[in-house]
Amino acid sequence: MSQHLIEAVKQAGSAQGLLLATLALAQEATADAAPTLVEVLGFNNPGAAVAAVDGLIAIGEPAVGVLLELDPRNYGARAWAVRALAGIGDRRGLPVLIDALAHDVGPSVRRAAAKGLGQLHLDDLSESEQLPLREQCLDALVGACRDGEWVVRYAVAVGLEALALPLAAPNPQRQRASLALGGLAANPGDEVPVVQLRANLAVQRLS
Amino acid sequence: MVGEPISETEALERLRRSDDPSQQYYGAWWLGRNRSRHPEAVPLLIEALRLRRPRDPGAGVEENAVARNAARALGKLAPAAKAAIAELLAALEDPDDGLREASARALGELRASAAVEPLCRRLASGPQQAGASQTDSPRLNEPCEAMLEALGEIGSAQATVLAIIEPFVQHERPLIRSAAARALLQLTGDPRWGDLLVELLGHQQLQVRRAALMDLGAAGWRPALEPIAATLAENSLKLIALRGLVENGQGEPNTDAVLASMDALL
Repeated sequence: MSQHLIEAVKQAGSAQGLLLATLALAQEATADAAPTLVEVLGFNNPGAAVAAVDGLIAIGEPAVGVLLELDPRNYGARAWAVRALAGIGDRRGLPVLIDALAHDVGPSVRRAAAKGLGQLHLDDLSESEQLPLREQCLDALVGACRDGEWVVRYAVAVGLEALALPLAAPNPQRQRASLALGGLAANPGDEVPVVQLRANLAVQRLS
Repeated sequence: MVGEPISETEALERLRRSDDPSQQYYGAWWLGRNRSRHPEAVPLLIEALRLRRPRDPGAGVEENAVARNAARALGKLAPAAKAAIAELLAALEDPDDGLREASARALGELRASAAVEPLCRRLASGPQQAGASQTDSPRLNEPCEAMLEALGEIGSAQATVLAIIEPFVQHERPLIRSAAARALLQLTGDPRWGDLLVELLGHQQLQVRRAALMDLGAAGWRPALEPIAATLAENSLKLIALRGLVENGQGEPNTDAVLASMDALL
């Protein structure tokens, strides 16, 4: 039971107090802590929000419902929720991650979404069920290869690698990921070296 | 890409409007931000830098703000802006310390070895004079942080230059200590300056930890990999620092190890 820890978060009277109470609640990582941790995402306290995201990721699947219920107009909280959903990897978060990677104004949010799209948990589905979901992830990642921020393109490279590595070598989706990574690795003139290096590493691991 | 409200042509047009500082201010900023390669960009920015003068306070853009933005943009257009070095050297002698700051940074980005002498001359009086606060403001007499960083970027490692930088690692302000250590690390590769920056990663003020992250990245100091990853600061800044370790650094830990740390911070 996390009830006293939940109360401590709700009663916190200072930024530092909120941070400490959130850390304690996040460490517990029980499902009944999720609604309170999601509330913390909207408190405009970055330290506490980081702790809450860690806690929500540790809670995992039982936290997804409450994360998806967040009001889209609550931008600050939504941005943190994207990170939590990316870390949890539950496929119910897929539409949120796709939307965030394509449209969010914050590079750190797009970055988290890109990584998340590469590590969605699909293992419990049949191959024919996995295929269209993976295709959605691929579409989003390939589209973001032209993102204006290097760190997002870096995360896209990491996402593409993670998505493709578990697939058997002749798989067309694996080939499509390799092709996109080859584009990032060779982007003439304009690509920053660290993105090229990371994409190259992914190409090697996939070849 | 989110929001690109004006085009390059429009930005150049605004920069030409020497009757309207606020238009020029935005035009100069745009050209730097978007790393314009238009052949007219550098000549127009040099012109804007040359026209520094007291501006009409009623125009909404403060005195010399256009010249400062032009200097910043010229730095961002390096190395294509070499033609601006002479005018930036002149601006380095301007009474406006904000303009000297922007010019010093731009000269550093342009790796302008002609700037070493004036930068050293202005810093030679050391932390007690060049590095003392102005009587009527918290700003320092010289923009030491920008000037020290420029010396590190330019890369002239003569003993006379090092001797001028070294006293600033004792400056009372941690941001100045960080800038001096960064320059010395870039110029000498001596681990004690890397150690000093790593120590600043643990400073109680977030602003100082952020500066030390950027400085370690600029110097590409790979032994700082673990401390950077463990610093209490935004992952965005740690990623920028680690990018610097990859691109500006060498040796151990190797590139793959730095990339693995970056992956974990996404």
